[in-house]
Amino acid sequence: MRQGPCRMLDLGSARIAVSSPIARFHEHLDIVYPHQQTEDPTTFVDVRVSVLPGAPWRIWGRQAHFWSEASQPFEPYPLQNALPLFEWGGNWLLAQRLNAYLLLHAGVVARDDGAIILPAAPGSGKSTLTCALHLAGWRFLSDEFGVVDPASGLVLPLLKPAALKNRSIEVIGTLPGATLGPVFPNTRKGDVAHFVPDRDSFTHRARGAKPRLVIFPRFREGATLTCTRLPSADSAMRLGLNSFNYQTLGPVGFHAVTSLARQTHAYELEYSILDEAIEHIEKLFAEVP
Amino acid sequence: MTDIQSATIDRMLRGTISPIDCNEREWEQVLRLARMSGLHGRLAVNNVQNPLLSAPVRRHLLSAARVAKFRSQMLRAELFHLAPLCDKDFPVVLLKGGAYLAQQLHLATGRFVSDVDLLVPRAHLGAMEQRLRAGGWQAVELTAYDERYYRDWSHETPPFRRPGHFLEVDLHHAITPVTGSLNFDPAPLIEASIPLADTPFRVLCAEDQVLHACLHCFHDGDLALRVREVVDIDGLLRTFAQESGFWDRLVRRASQLGLERPLWYGLHYARRWLDCPVPASVPESLSGTPSKITQRCMDTLAPLALLPSNPDTPVPLHVQLARNLMLTRYHLLRMPLRLLLPHLARKAGRRLQTRLNQKSIGAGV
Repeated sequence: MRQGPCRMLDLGSARIAVSSPIARFHEHLDIVYPHQQTEDPTTFVDVRVSVLPGAPWRIWGRQAHFWSEASQPFEPYPLQNALPLFEWGGNWLLAQRLNAYLLLHAGVVARDDGAIILPAAPGSGKSTLTCALHLAGWRFLSDEFGVVDPASGLVLPLLKPAALKNRSIEVIGTLPGATLGPVFPNTRKGDVAHFVPDRDSFTHRARGAKPRLVIFPRFREGATLTCTRLPSADSAMRLGLNSFNYQTLGPVGFHAVTSLARQTHAYELEYSILDEAIEHIEKLFAEVP
Repeated sequence: MTDIQSATIDRMLRGTISPIDCNEREWEQVLRLARMSGLHGRLAVNNVQNPLLSAPVRRHLLSAARVAKFRSQMLRAELFHLAPLCDKDFPVVLLKGGAYLAQQLHLATGRFVSDVDLLVPRAHLGAMEQRLRAGGWQAVELTAYDERYYRDWSHETPPFRRPGHFLEVDLHHAITPVTGSLNFDPAPLIEASIPLADTPFRVLCAEDQVLHACLHCFHDGDLALRVREVVDIDGLLRTFAQESGFWDRLVRRASQLGLERPLWYGLHYARRWLDCPVPASVPESLSGTPSKITQRCMDTLAPLALLPSNPDTPVPLHVQLARNLMLTRYHLLRMPLRLLLPHLARKAGRRLQTRLNQKSIGAGV
């Protein structure tokens, strides 16, 4: 089967190479990874996959198949949804292989070299807040994975586009300066569009930041902003719960989580208005010693 | 298979035994083939200390070593919870991964475990199931047909799982399917088993552990990507060969149990792929040597079926064909045709049905 052109995406703390003969998919990659230079696709990468079209005679519409190491870890998607398939598949494979790091389910932004980690369960408005903070001038490190290096204590960029779902597509898409990829309607997770981090964040993709603030966001329609400081023991527990591999890392995970909780201030933040939340976060960040 | 592919496989397999030396680009290929074969944990423990590794390669090895360590820890936890269910009433024998870990064998380090396998005498199977249920384990729900398949034709019960636990427990009353051509009474295995110090469990004697590994690898399934089981066989042989008189006992035991053929295959591929130091006299003294034609067939098909294919492409047709032929061979070894044909027909019918169901659900997205 024809593999199509291969391109390598340098995300900072990991590299992904993808081959595909699907022209539309490459166009979508150009939109959501606009700053990637043409890099040598034969250098070491952490994840190497192909997105291949299925049989053209399938009655229910042609599909895109996600191949990794001669097998398909996922069911195929409709051909036009090749990008969301690649994004989710790539995330899943990265989560399997990056156990050298503590992987939090978190958005991460930074100013200078001080980082804010926003860990949260799906649906809590984490991606929306992460993207809004980026548009308000913070450097974007990652949305899906908070990559913490247990050896240095730094949080590292994993510069993938943020997958915005349903209502947040409009909320972020209408903010000044926002760049979004095409909307993919009715995927398994609803409507999805990818938010593109800016060139400056891409340029600094190899630069880690020191965690200063941990904010557990919770979006609630109509809520007035409330913000509660969490004791570091609570913060450690919640960081563990919001981690992909806390259990797998065993003692390494425990030490990473507790030292992260000790060196940061942690808050629970409930909000309904983005601007208020951002303003409050700025204030909290200024207060951290 | 291309020369580059087989050289990389060779390098990967050597890396599961001792440190290897290669550049970053080669490491990526080695890691991919190791992941496909489930051997990246073994590769990691043998190489992660190498000071010459580049940072990304070391990260991958560290990652694999940590996952393997976690799973071993989960296995220890499961054994800890199973121990109170086992007393002196009847023997409970740990098989495979559980046994390797509990004996602290070198090959258990970095080896990925997926379940706990226990062997009990058939007469006590009901009692052991009863104890598991009383202890909070639940049998995985099966259709009536699958349940009967397990009960009447297989050598194990449906898997058990305790909610919140990481690993499944497979309860065996034999090590061969009761309908298969190699079917034999497992009583001598249990009789020769050895108690494990400070635990209520037993393990098979050294020779039987090797024979079981060979039987499992070459007579239990389609062989697809089973090279990790050859790595187990190699590891067991290297360990037990330290004991004096081991090879003689092994050959004698194989002929006693009628397992010369699987042993021959185990020795053959452990030597061929992993340079296992088997004395040349050992396979020669086995009466189960396959005919030249069978050997030629196996040597053509086994590498295609057991070893990983090119990671860049979907599994090529000739590899699929080899794996299907091996699956056919397995089915024929496992059941006489009068049982096999209706069984396969039923499985095929059911697969078709699930597929049609999926299509009608999945048509939207």
